[in-house]
Amino acid sequence: MADYRALILQRHRQLKWKSLDWLEATLMVLCGVCISMFTLGVFFDVVTRTIGAPWLWLQQVTTAFFAWGVFLGMAAATRRNDHFYLTEITKRMTGAPRTAIEITNRIIVLVVAVLLIWCGTQNALLDLGSFRMPSLVPLAVYTGIVPIAGVLILLFTVEQLVCGWQHRFEGPEDRDDSREAVE
Amino acid sequence: MMSATAVLILMTALFLGFGYMGVPVVFALMAGVLLASAFTPISMQSLVGQLFHGIDSETLLAVPFFLLVGELMASSDVAVRMIRLSQTLVGHLRGGLAQVVTLFSMFFAGISGSSVADVAVLSRTIARDMSREGYDRAFTAALIASASTMANLIPPSIMAVVYGATGNVSIGGLFLAGVVPGVLIGIGLMIYSYFWGPAGVMKKRAGLTEVLVAARGSALPLVIPVIIMGGILTGWFTPTEAGMAAAVYILVVLIPALNRGHVRELPRDFMYAGLLYSLPLAAVAGASAFGWMVAFLRGPDIVAGYITSLAGTNGTMIMFLLVCVFVIVGDFIDAVPAIIIFMPIINKLTEVGQINPLHMGAVIITTLVFGLITPPYGLSLLVASKYVGIGFGKAVVRSLPLYAVFFATIAFVVAFPDIVLWLPKQFLPESVGCFKSPTGAGFICP
Repeated sequence: MADYRALILQRHRQLKWKSLDWLEATLMVLCGVCISMFTLGVFFDVVTRTIGAPWLWLQQVTTAFFAWGVFLGMAAATRRNDHFYLTEITKRMTGAPRTAIEITNRIIVLVVAVLLIWCGTQNALLDLGSFRMPSLVPLAVYTGIVPIAGVLILLFTVEQLVCGWQHRFEGPEDRDDSREAVE
Repeated sequence: MMSATAVLILMTALFLGFGYMGVPVVFALMAGVLLASAFTPISMQSLVGQLFHGIDSETLLAVPFFLLVGELMASSDVAVRMIRLSQTLVGHLRGGLAQVVTLFSMFFAGISGSSVADVAVLSRTIARDMSREGYDRAFTAALIASASTMANLIPPSIMAVVYGATGNVSIGGLFLAGVVPGVLIGIGLMIYSYFWGPAGVMKKRAGLTEVLVAARGSALPLVIPVIIMGGILTGWFTPTEAGMAAAVYILVVLIPALNRGHVRELPRDFMYAGLLYSLPLAAVAGASAFGWMVAFLRGPDIVAGYITSLAGTNGTMIMFLLVCVFVIVGDFIDAVPAIIIFMPIINKLTEVGQINPLHMGAVIITTLVFGLITPPYGLSLLVASKYVGIGFGKAVVRSLPLYAVFFATIAFVVAFPDIVLWLPKQFLPESVGCFKSPTGAGFICP
């Protein structure tokens, strides 16, 4: 239990539902699994090639874990607010202007998430008919992660919108950040 | 239907507008391109498909490995041994700890491709000692951030991987072409610290025995650059495989030998590295959709038209104008998405100016690493000022004199292609456009 909680980022706690903590922890574990698996994939690719018996399907397994890791990480980073930002202008704001901009920003993310789900599902359905050689795995196995990531991003963005509306978007860590920024 | 130029401007304005409102870069990129697509015949479905295809590249697999190597080295405290070696070598000079920061960053750059990992190691270790010795925190943050930029020049470099993968340029060649600018920045920072930086506490020169003991202590970590570059240059490994080999070496040899207790922490390291690599690659996904749209709207032709109207087909002038463009771009956008978005334009201008693609790569990457320490989006400086505990504004002011080092290096890289491309020509001649002589002896180079 303690280990599972250690994986949850406590910054911006006011923007998180406790009931979704297990999902953040699961995504973190899956990120670790993805990078471990494609490390092993490349390792065995080199080993089997060196001994003259290459497993050709290994590269496909490797790229699948790689792509899944990127999109799962993108979803996890949404809940943890770990993404790259051009600026964190909102951290220096308070009250109604802060709420308005934070809500607008999340609505933009929400629109992107909906498009990822809708267009990603259509692409994945089309990709059921395309196959990767030599294993003949449907391409949808790879591209299916796009709408899944969309659903997770949508869920976490709704969580932040609701929590931010209820408890405000400002958190204690913002005060530290803005004090550093003006120091 | 809007004109292509108008859609390009709209798309860029939406991205920057959303980005500066506080939307994460990856979503700002996606929102900009998806909304602008409403004014083009391109379907949103194909753009979402492009997000996936942007990262569906075996070459990009090298990025997580070089980040993993940096993360493992930083969290296992093995890097401290290299700091000790740097201290014995240059710690006695004026501004001793500042010299140590720069020399260590050169060593660490040969192991990790991540500037942020370098900043993390230095901020957690030597920054405290610098504070104790009276270095002002703004200078410490500015120097650590500036020195960390070498991680993206001295091989392995994540920027070179992304540039090579998207621009179809030899990654091994780009690695070697980054050595000269990387070392020049290091030497420049050491010269600045010696003559104009804080003096610090003067120490006695380390004896030969001390140097040898420190060198022995860091011998195992210093094998990593040999594995990476040796593997690539001998043709044993691709850059991706070299990154994997380095990670396996750290896991199987380095950590058990030097910090056995850290083995328990490895699952956590992998989870964080897994999250860490997804951040730049998510930006790659967004940027590749953006870059694809730029190419569809004939953005390269439009921008190339503007630049060639000023520079003609003069390669040096074209590079000079591109440097100006990328100094501005690097101020506002992270280097990885910038490379992908602008790659069609870079390729077009490389062709127009008949510039060696490797030389162009070295110029662009050197210019973009400068963006890591310039406001408002100087990622290394932002992270360093946060870790060191000083306001970003103060760190920027203290960085200003160090900008001269970067300008001088960029000018050198533009003006002396023969020196920059000397290493690739010696070790990977094909990467510079040389081909095997029909007589079988040596290479013929353009």
